[in-house]
Formats: sequence, C-alpha cells, structure tokens
Amino acid sequence: MDYGRQKRLIIIAAIIVGIWTVGPFFWLLWASFMQTSELNQGIVKWLEDPTLQNYRRVFGLAGDDEGYDAIFGAQTRAVGIGFINSLLVAVPTAVIATAIATLAGYAFGRFEFRGKTGFLFALLLTRVLPPVAILIPYFTLFRQVGLIGNPVSLIITYLTAIIPLLAWVLMGYFATLPLEVERAARLDGCSRLKVLWYVMLPMAAPGISAAFIIAFLFAWNELLFAIILTGGGKWQTLSPALIGVSPIGALGLTPMVVFAAASTLSIIPPVIMALIFQRYITRLNIVDPVTVRA
Amino acid sequence: MASIRQMTLRGGYMTDGQFAFAIVAAVLAFHLLIIGAPLAYSFWLSLHETNIILRSQEYVGFDLWQEALENEDVIDATWRSLWFAAMVTVFSFVLSLAIALVLDMEFPFRGLLRALVLMPWAISEIVTAGLWTMMIDPGWGVFNGILVPLGIVEEGFVWLNEDWALFWVAVAFVWHIAPLGAFFFLAALQSIPKALYGAARIDGAGPIARFWYVTLPHIRYAVLIVLVVMTVDAFRQFDLVFAFTAGGPGTVTLVLPMQIYRFNFNLSQYGLASATSFILIIIATILACAYFFLLSRRRHVTRAVDEVKAAPAA
Repeated sequence: MDYGRQKRLIIIAAIIVGIWTVGPFFWLLWASFMQTSELNQGIVKWLEDPTLQNYRRVFGLAGDDEGYDAIFGAQTRAVGIGFINSLLVAVPTAVIATAIATLAGYAFGRFEFRGKTGFLFALLLTRVLPPVAILIPYFTLFRQVGLIGNPVSLIITYLTAIIPLLAWVLMGYFATLPLEVERAARLDGCSRLKVLWYVMLPMAAPGISAAFIIAFLFAWNELLFAIILTGGGKWQTLSPALIGVSPIGALGLTPMVVFAAASTLSIIPPVIMALIFQRYITRLNIVDPVTVRA
Repeated sequence: MASIRQMTLRGGYMTDGQFAFAIVAAVLAFHLLIIGAPLAYSFWLSLHETNIILRSQEYVGFDLWQEALENEDVIDATWRSLWFAAMVTVFSFVLSLAIALVLDMEFPFRGLLRALVLMPWAISEIVTAGLWTMMIDPGWGVFNGILVPLGIVEEGFVWLNEDWALFWVAVAFVWHIAPLGAFFFLAALQSIPKALYGAARIDGAGPIARFWYVTLPHIRYAVLIVLVVMTVDAFRQFDLVFAFTAGGPGTVTLVLPMQIYRFNFNLSQYGLASATSFILIIIATILACAYFFLLSRRRHVTRAVDEVKAAPAA
C-alpha cells in the first residue's frame, strides 16, 4: 500500500471516531438552544432563533414563562439544587474511598503476605455485586433507622461499590513505582507509614488523582441508589433531579429542550474530569489479580 | 524476588508482611461490615414472606427462591439480561479495539481526539439515554432527520420498536462504555516495542499477520480485562435501561435488575426481590469467575510488574 493512501485512510478512520464520539454531544447542545416548537419540526435544521430560555429555566431566572413555571418550575429548579447536593456527596465519597483504597493498594501492591491472593479475590469479587442487590437490604435497614433522605446513607452505599475498583487500580500503580527511593528512606530509618506519607504518596500522585476522579465520576453519575435514597427529598442529588425533568421513555412530560439544557450543565464537571483523566489513564497499570506478585 | 521484605531494617515491632496484612485486614473488615452485613440481611429477607398490611414477616425457608426460579418474568428477564450482556460485550470489544488502534496511529490532532474520546465514558447513563433519544426519536430525531429526506427510511420510523429496542439500548451502552476499553487497549498497545513491527515487516508479514502475531499476544491480558468489565457491567446494568426505555416498549427491555427493582419498590415483594437478587449475584459471579479462571490458566504477569521484579534486589 502506498504511503499517501494509508495516511488518508488513517485520517478518515480518525474522523469517524471523532464523529461517533462528539456527534451526540453536539445535538444535545443544539437542542438546548431550541424552543419546543422549533424542536418539533426536527432537530436537524439550522438554529433560526437560538434561545437561552431553557438555561434560564434551570437557574430559575426565566420570569414570566407562559405557564411553564406553574407546571414544571419546581422540578426544573431541583436540578440546580441537585448540582450542589451532588458535589456535597461526591467529594466526601471520593476522598474517603481514595484514602481507604490507597492504604489497601499500597499493602497489596508493595508487600507479600500470607493470604494475599485470597484477600484480593474477596475484595475484587464484591466488585461484581449488582447495585440493586446491595440496595434492597440497605433500603430496608436505612428505613428502620431513619436514614432515608440523608446523604450519609448515599455515601455509605457508594463506598461499597467503589472501594474494590479503586484498590485494584491503585495496587497496579503502586506495583509499578521503583523500589529504590522507598528502600533508601527505610534505610534512613523512616517508618513504614512515614514512607507511605512522605515518599510513596508524592510518587503515586498521578495514580491517586486518577482514583479520585473515578470515584467522583461514579458518585456524580450514579442513579439507582440516589433515586431510592434521596429522590424527592431535600438532599436529592443531580441524577434523580435529571430524571425529574426527563421526557424520555415512560418517565415524564417535561420539554426535551429543558432536559437538554439541564443535561448540558450536568456534564460539565465530568467532561472536565475526563479531559484531566485521559492524561493518566494510559499510565495506569491494571494488574492481573491472579498472578500478581509485588 | 525483589520484595521489600528483604530490606527490613527498622520496621518497628512488625515485619513487612505483618504490616501489610494488618492494613489489608482492616480495610477488608470495614468492607465486610458495609457489604457483608447487608448481604446477610438480604439473605434473611429472602427466607421470609412479608405481609405489608399486617407488617409481619413469616419464615418460609427457600420457598421464595423456588418461586423466583419458576417465575416467568424472572426467567424472561434473565435471558434478556444475558442477551444484552452478550451484545454489549461483542460490540464494545470490537469497537474499543478499533478506537484504540486508530488512536495508536499518527495523524494530525491526535492529542485532541484522545482527549475527546473519553467523554462518553465520563457522563452519566441518564445523559447517555437522553443523547440517544435525540438520535432515534421518530418525530424529530437525528437519524430520521437525515435518513427520511434521503428516502432510506419512511417518515416517523420507530427505531425503538419491539424487535430492536434492546439492540438500541445496547448501542447506547456501548457508546458509553467502549472508551474505557479503548484506553485499556491503548495502554497495552503502547507497551509493544515498535521495533517488533519493523522486524515483522522485514520478515514479510502483512498488516493482518502483524496484528495477529505481534499485536494480539501483547494485548491478551487487556482483552480479558475488557471482556470481564464489559460483561459484568452490562449484565447488572440498571441506570441506562431505566432512563432510556424504562423496560419498554412492553417488557422487551425489562432486564433482570429492573425486574428486581419492580418486585421490591413497585410491588413490595421484598422477600421475592431479595431471592431474585441472589440469582443475579450468582450468575454475575459465575460469569466473572469464568473469566478469572481463564486468567489464572496463564502464568502471565503484566509488563510493569515484570519491571519491578527485574529491579535489582538490595
């Protein structure tokens, strides 16, 4: 194959990947600037009269709005509140999960000890558990102790789901770090926890950042736990709030254009995190749990 | 083996092994508390029939497990979930490998595309459902907006029809999940020494032979990781189905996690929901163990770990 033709084929493949990836995002943004009457004529058309009204509705700034506010006002403004609530849930979840998983990842990734493979298997197998299977007993338990609607209940259930994955990712990262620095610090009389804090954590910062992002994204995006444990309440997070303005499927009657605006706002933090994360992800080392030896 | 154990000089009163064991035992104890306790409670629930009017619970042994296993809705939902998982696994495997192969080549704006490709993975299942509704809506959607004027489909063609709804849910999920697989593959591809391709080329290997004999053996581990992640995540998927089709039209996309959700939160059959959730757990565990079994048959340690091992011991 001649070189120029190969080059063109690669560029065409790259354009296809780009359209596949970005295309749907484009239409979301497109629809968010439309009015319902305009969208009903079809989404594939030029924006004749782009409007920010849908965004104003989400922020509660729409003012007199042809009756929209009376019907959908409360659930639309819940998206903004959900945005704050999700931050208040996702950040503590990510901090706690990352801290615990860092300890576990350090122990798994750097040391040999009795029962290591068994422990690792026990931890990773819980990653397989379906969320709905965890939710049912937690729902009944939380209802009995009055924790439904409380963000603490959400944080606890999120920890069950995310710690195994983070420990696995961090174990791989710790295993790739060179031994020499750690060894030198130990020779100088540093204790193991001091080595972890002063030597290993700075070296593992990219892996730990990646773990934090994975945990944050999970907590930010999760729907099932959030809808059952906080849905409709004062602490309702972003996901149930989005369902509240969702016209999709059998779920609701809110205009699609408002859902598009709310969705666009909701993906700003994840998209920023994805752009940061992709710098780290190829450096993560997902290790084989069966044969790994540090 | 270059274990840190060999350099214990001043470790205090514990050896390195004991230190690591203590940390892991503490983490696992915490994890067992937040996951084992609810599972045990769920097991208890599955053995008791709840009467919501009297608010009483009666021990019925494994009757509810039997009821779940014989329930037509459960059986249908289980097959639907397995079929969904199979579609997602095959499509996302092919797509993520294709994306990774493209991203591994040289072309203008490669850094930009690599940054963008991860975006579908980062957003929620709800927004994914919204995006794909915009693509396939029969009235104003993108597909009909482009294909109807071209005369390829008739006006108002319903993409989410009874035969194809599960397929479109799978497509949306693949769009959402394939970027993660692509980056697993990309990391593995980047670890292949480029000189090997040159050597294979000199030996007369064409592109297909180079892929088969050079690329594939180096990414085998990534292949297994991607397969296990995709299969399990698809099999237990709730969020996307709930937001996209809510099980419809009819029940053609009512997957097993949604059926359990219905039992518990719509029909208040708590015991039956718990019993059914154990069926889901058992199948998911079997699927994961099957892959892990495949893994354990190969005495292969990832490259980076090999490097750690190769580091000179003190």
